[in-house]
Amino acid sequence: MPELVLPNAFKELEPFVAKWARSREVERNRQRRSSTMEQLQAFYDAILPRMDEIVAYLNRFPLDEMPEDAERLLHMGLSLMEVAPAIELLGEPDESGVFDAERFRIVEPGTGQP
Amino acid sequence: MVSAVEGRKWTLDYPELGTSPVPVEPTVSGDYFERERRRVFRCSWLNVAASSELPGPGDYVVRDLEVLGTSVLLVRGRDGRVRGFHNVCKHRGNTLAKSCGGKANGFVCGFHGWAFDTKGNLVHVPDEDQFHDLNKSDFPLTPIETEEWNGLVFASIEPTESLSEALGEWGQQFENYPFDEMRPVGRYATSVRVNWKVFMVAFLECYHVPRLHRRTVPDAATGEANPLCHLLSVRLQGRHRSCSVYGNPNHAPSPAEGLAFRYGPTVIQGEKAKSARPTGVNPENNAHWAFDMNGIFPNLILHIGNGFYYKLVFWPLAVDRTRWDVALYMSPAANAGERISQEFSKILTRDLYREDLSTVESVQAGLASGALSHFPLSDQEVLVRHTFKVIDDAVRAG
Repeated sequence: MPELVLPNAFKELEPFVAKWARSREVERNRQRRSSTMEQLQAFYDAILPRMDEIVAYLNRFPLDEMPEDAERLLHMGLSLMEVAPAIELLGEPDESGVFDAERFRIVEPGTGQP
Repeated sequence: MVSAVEGRKWTLDYPELGTSPVPVEPTVSGDYFERERRRVFRCSWLNVAASSELPGPGDYVVRDLEVLGTSVLLVRGRDGRVRGFHNVCKHRGNTLAKSCGGKANGFVCGFHGWAFDTKGNLVHVPDEDQFHDLNKSDFPLTPIETEEWNGLVFASIEPTESLSEALGEWGQQFENYPFDEMRPVGRYATSVRVNWKVFMVAFLECYHVPRLHRRTVPDAATGEANPLCHLLSVRLQGRHRSCSVYGNPNHAPSPAEGLAFRYGPTVIQGEKAKSARPTGVNPENNAHWAFDMNGIFPNLILHIGNGFYYKLVFWPLAVDRTRWDVALYMSPAANAGERISQEFSKILTRDLYREDLSTVESVQAGLASGALSHFPLSDQEVLVRHTFKVIDDAVRAG
């Protein structure tokens, strides 16, 4: 299956696949911090109104046996939650004046000792 | 609701705490820190893992205990019991397990090949005949006392009491909370230039919430009825401490939060949770409850709610350096909707924690500057006062 494909019902979200269908939190967070507010807003506006349909579609599959196209959609749903604070609370991609994001190490499952 | 507690001063319920300003010295003195190593950390039960990190026989993890100058190798035996050992080969002292975790039938030292089983017995010595009267049973791994309690694993180098005695009344209150059914949703680690106590108490008061967290939680923990995020109730239980935190019933969820709450439990839901409240939390049945903050002696904080808990562990590296291990635990997601819902809670918390961490290094620098010798504490900071008191009592008792 080609890399940028989503399930048929969600084709119009394909322009966001390359940036936001990322499996790891650290990748989604770096994408958020390196994006402009315009880019974050475009993704947020495109996916937010489709979330109930996305979740209804994804909930048909067991989490550990998801087809690749559905898994991309799941990762984009996770990316929505990554960008939401920037859009809804902060008004900037990453909060200025707080602890350095690169020093705040994200320990993902299976990556060893914290 | 909150008006019922207005005018009340929690600190005055515990006259042994006093009300005077607290000395800076324990946060900056190298001598005090050396006494903490011996009198606080060496003889206390320390949370070193969650049981779910060692689910089956042969599962092991290695955890650095820098404050005690060693690493503990935790391994679950075929009998189901978790044992702890110094991660040190008994031949010449080499580090035994090199990786930080995995599954093993035993451990083979990478230096000369001495092999130990999961109970710590020395089971094989290459070229054994060349040793002089070597009796393998004289050289088991050096044990570190290890006990499991309700899904959490604790270890102690020189325990003076059992784990259940150490957890005391607090442990009884939470012995049926489903810690063991929950798994990390997100986990973070960092090293910070701050004294471990200064770092820890930043998560034991809500006085800072309206100011420091005004951007990430503008109204979830504050509102017309409780604009300054006053505590709902306070419980000091021996060396441990706990309080209930307010949740604003009129909080207006953002669109993403609204989705998250539709798909699963969130860390903001409080008493609006769809599931029954688990035993242990919110013991006073406060109507507008969000979660409980628990400080467990000496270096563990559990922020416990309905459907979630945070585990924050503060590992001193030096008087002014601390390694932080923090994770959000929730029930394993049953489907994609719950997975996405959990991501909301995790990311909001991660962003909020970076606000907390924005103050602690500058606070440490300020304390070390000599500009103040004592700091005054508000009644809302009663858990901060209690933390310094119980640690100081242990330091002086030794």
